[in-house]
Amino acid sequence: MPCRILIADDEVAIANVVARKLQNAGLQTIVATDGQEAYERALAERPDFVITDLQMPGMSGLELCERLTAELDAPIPTILLTAKGFEIDAMTLTHLPILRVMTKPFSPSELLANVREALGIGSAT
Amino acid sequence: MRRAAAVVLLFLGVGVDLHLLLEPLRDSGQPAAVKAMTLGAGLALAVLGVIGGFLIARVPKERIDGVTDHLESMVRRGMLGLAISEAESDALGRLGHAINRYLSFVKEEVEQSHLDAKERQIQMKVLDAEKRHIEAVIRAISDGVVVTDAFGDLVLANAAAEGTFGFKFDPAARRPIEEAITDKGFLALVNDMRETGLFTPHRTVEWIQGAGEQARSWRVILNTVVEGKRHDRISGVVAVLHDVTKEKEIARMKSDFVSIVSHELKAPLASIRAYTEMLVDGEARSEAEQREYLHVIGTETDRMNRLIESILNLSRLESGLVPVNKTDLAVTEILRDAADVMTPQAVQKSIRLEADLAPVFFRVHGDRDMLYQAVLNVVSNAVKYTPEGGQIRISTYLDDSSVVVDVADTGYGIPPEDAGRVFEKFYRSRHSAKEAKGSGLGLALVKHVVEVVHGGRVAVESDVGKGSIFRLYLPAVR
Repeated sequence: MPCRILIADDEVAIANVVARKLQNAGLQTIVATDGQEAYERALAERPDFVITDLQMPGMSGLELCERLTAELDAPIPTILLTAKGFEIDAMTLTHLPILRVMTKPFSPSELLANVREALGIGSAT
Repeated sequence: MRRAAAVVLLFLGVGVDLHLLLEPLRDSGQPAAVKAMTLGAGLALAVLGVIGGFLIARVPKERIDGVTDHLESMVRRGMLGLAISEAESDALGRLGHAINRYLSFVKEEVEQSHLDAKERQIQMKVLDAEKRHIEAVIRAISDGVVVTDAFGDLVLANAAAEGTFGFKFDPAARRPIEEAITDKGFLALVNDMRETGLFTPHRTVEWIQGAGEQARSWRVILNTVVEGKRHDRISGVVAVLHDVTKEKEIARMKSDFVSIVSHELKAPLASIRAYTEMLVDGEARSEAEQREYLHVIGTETDRMNRLIESILNLSRLESGLVPVNKTDLAVTEILRDAADVMTPQAVQKSIRLEADLAPVFFRVHGDRDMLYQAVLNVVSNAVKYTPEGGQIRISTYLDDSSVVVDVADTGYGIPPEDAGRVFEKFYRSRHSAKEAKGSGLGLALVKHVVEVVHGGRVAVESDVGKGSIFRLYLPAVR
């Protein structure tokens, strides 16, 4: 069964481009455009991996990660995308399954490489 | 016998002179030095008298009688000096001459000491007036001033300090600073300065008064007053308190602004960067997909440009770089123009846009272009945040001394927690962010144009799910 990755970003263009990059690499994607939607879909569809924006209206990426970690038995490894990486408290990250913080603008290829590395899957090409 | 009489007589004369000398000094409050000098003069006269006595013993009685009469007449007339005739060139004449010179010297000294005393009194008055002036200045300045002495007693506090610490300073009743000021943090600053200020006589420290929402930031400038020949004793501490709460708030707002702007600019930039890389890497598998990516890049570039333009516009407006050209103008015309411009967009969303304008032309004194832009921003927001099939109504009426412009929509509405903040720069309600793209600067511009440029007021009334009414109050021209 292919890996399913939840992408949460209120910037639809970003969510779509990340989804396209992952799909081209043979991964399955679920796209949500705010924190609440991402939370609900994660509970319903149990993705293997989460890529989320930090600043989203309603529920932030950190809050999403905290709530999913609290509610699910197994934490979902997560990559956090943010336009202001320097404002994240390092201590918060140690309690959460956040593998990496990538600052915007980011390279989709680099993001894909990080996802692959985290999931332990090699390059398809 | 004659010699003894002469000596007694002379002593009497000298005594009279002394009396005359001392009389003016008795009630004049002369300093001790002047009194001592006068007494010294008296003593000197007495010595001269003794010498004179021996000389007089050889002088004919008539001449001594003459001198005596002369002296008594001087006492009666309250005169000083020229006690003895200088006409004779014998010993008595020379003595008279010497005594007279001495008396006029004493007279000059007494007169001078009178002048000095008067001058000192004037100086005291001037000093007192200066002290009162300085105290008045200190009391009036907006920075708080607190002065303590070497023992920690409050010597001076101005009105600003009284306001800051909530006490009343009484110059007549000295009391320890702790009795007037209870803030431990501030007391520690002053007391520490009093104890260790010899090594660092000038200090500037930041002090936070209170906590939470009520907290105020102060820059406290502390100086010690030192005395002693080697400046090795602290005789007091002067603390000046400058309120920097607002400065810090402005600095924080600036930093927030920069942070928000960079975040807002990074969003479209991130899309441009990602889609470009996708194209370069050949991830667009079809021509249609390529066109789609290029379209996104174009849209995001425009978005970025619009954002930069908005920021520049608002910043130019705020800094007063845009010349304001005010004339008496009819609000109704501006509203009609704005409604006309927005109608095509409203039609696209099947929104009914009505301009219910009074037949009377309400006039305001304002800058047409700026007011038009402000109204356009409000109406365009209404179109953005009203779902398809909704309704927008623009109306105007007179309320007290204001021309009021209402833009009412049947849109998504603004939650109460956001309503107060929608006019802030970059503040976007979480609902608005979901429903439509925007810079978060449009309403900030409206607020600036209406309130700062035109002296009016903006307000919003909203019901989530039902809609909002944005109100612009502009001072009416009578």
